[in-house]
Amino acid sequence: MYQVSLLDFEGPLDLLLFLIQRDEVDIFDIPVAKITDEYLAFVNSADELDLDSVADFIYLASMLIRIKAKMLLPRPELDEQGEIIDPRQALVEQLLEYIRFKDAAAELGLMRQRRERMYTRGEASRTHQLEETVESTLVNTTVFDLIGALRRVLREVPDEPQVTLDAMDHTVAQQREFVMAWIRVQQSGQFGFMVREQSKGFVIATFLAILELAQQGDVLITPDYDHRDFVIAAANGIVAQA
Amino acid sequence: MTNNAQISDDALLHVVEALVFAANEPVDALQIAATLAKTADEALLTETAIDDAVDRLNHLYERNGHVLRIERWAGGYRMATTDTASVYLEEFFKQVRRVKLSRPLMETLAILSYRQPVTRVEIDQVRGVNSDYALRKLLELELIAITGRAESVGQPLLYATTDHFLETFGLNDLGDLPNLRDIEALLDDPEFSSERARLLILNGLNTADPESDD
Repeated sequence: MYQVSLLDFEGPLDLLLFLIQRDEVDIFDIPVAKITDEYLAFVNSADELDLDSVADFIYLASMLIRIKAKMLLPRPELDEQGEIIDPRQALVEQLLEYIRFKDAAAELGLMRQRRERMYTRGEASRTHQLEETVESTLVNTTVFDLIGALRRVLREVPDEPQVTLDAMDHTVAQQREFVMAWIRVQQSGQFGFMVREQSKGFVIATFLAILELAQQGDVLITPDYDHRDFVIAAANGIVAQA
Repeated sequence: MTNNAQISDDALLHVVEALVFAANEPVDALQIAATLAKTADEALLTETAIDDAVDRLNHLYERNGHVLRIERWAGGYRMATTDTASVYLEEFFKQVRRVKLSRPLMETLAILSYRQPVTRVEIDQVRGVNSDYALRKLLELELIAITGRAESVGQPLLYATTDHFLETFGLNDLGDLPNLRDIEALLDDPEFSSERARLLILNGLNTADPESDD
């Protein structure tokens, strides 16, 4: 699963802000029809989003379309004082707020950079302890969620009273083929469903195969709604289905 | 107050310097005063007296060309190196990877630090995206903490920044946070347009095949 960004955008507001800045549009007088079209074109062209972030982007899209529709109404809405309500007002306020905090985030980043140049005793150990790879910030699901799902499936697997150690029935390479074939047929589905009533060896090899495929970007894995299982899907099919 | 005069000037500078040097976290003025009072069997010095001693030590370090300074972070004192020494230390600690705070984490932290205590929903509203993951990560990094529950429906958790946050960003207290800029000033800022230029470059990347970077 990838970061909640459509390329380098942190979310729908970030994308909207980009479009406004790119077109040098006055933020207090946004041409909603034009910006909405551009926004939708952008979202449609992105095929690497996970379902969660698609929802965020689509939510703003629906908001834009509603504003666009309201602006076409012959009789504008009035507030209690009888003043005309600009349908864009709420969105602009949200956007301005976002801009201020985006700026504050950049300021804080600079402060941290300055502070990082000042070393304290024991700093190395503290920094080391909190070491975090860049990759891990890109993943929305923790490894623990995945392992938790594996453990639950394994618990449901019938116990094989086997003591002798046999050669592996299922290799990870074989299971990669199995997963890809399964995905071609099913498009997407839960891990638990994929390996139901199979042996432990099968489940584990399949789990490892899925991790490899996900790392290569051949499949997408997303947590199930209650984080008890996860969903495997073809890497290119997600947006088309949404 | 007459007792205070009996504590020698040397002893005062010594205790401040020794405690701030030896501690692995910011030491506050009260801790220093209490230590001195116990060991010298004297009355407590005021926090101002401790603060003056810190100023004098810093002055001495500067005059003698030392690279150490006592900084005021997270409501306490902490010894740290100056910018002059950073080039050597960067080289020396090259292998130690620094925690990188990604943009979602920084955005979340910024909203949280100005709005605290704040619920996740309030942060989500400003960002327009779910901040669940960012909050979990910030909790793990001990930059934020859960401070209670809001009175509103469902009693959502309230988040606030920690002392470790203050220290990491070189702040003495939340009053040291830079003022949020007025929107007018921001929109007029040429930096804001240069952000636009940066985004244009990024947009150029959009046409490239996203699969091509692996």
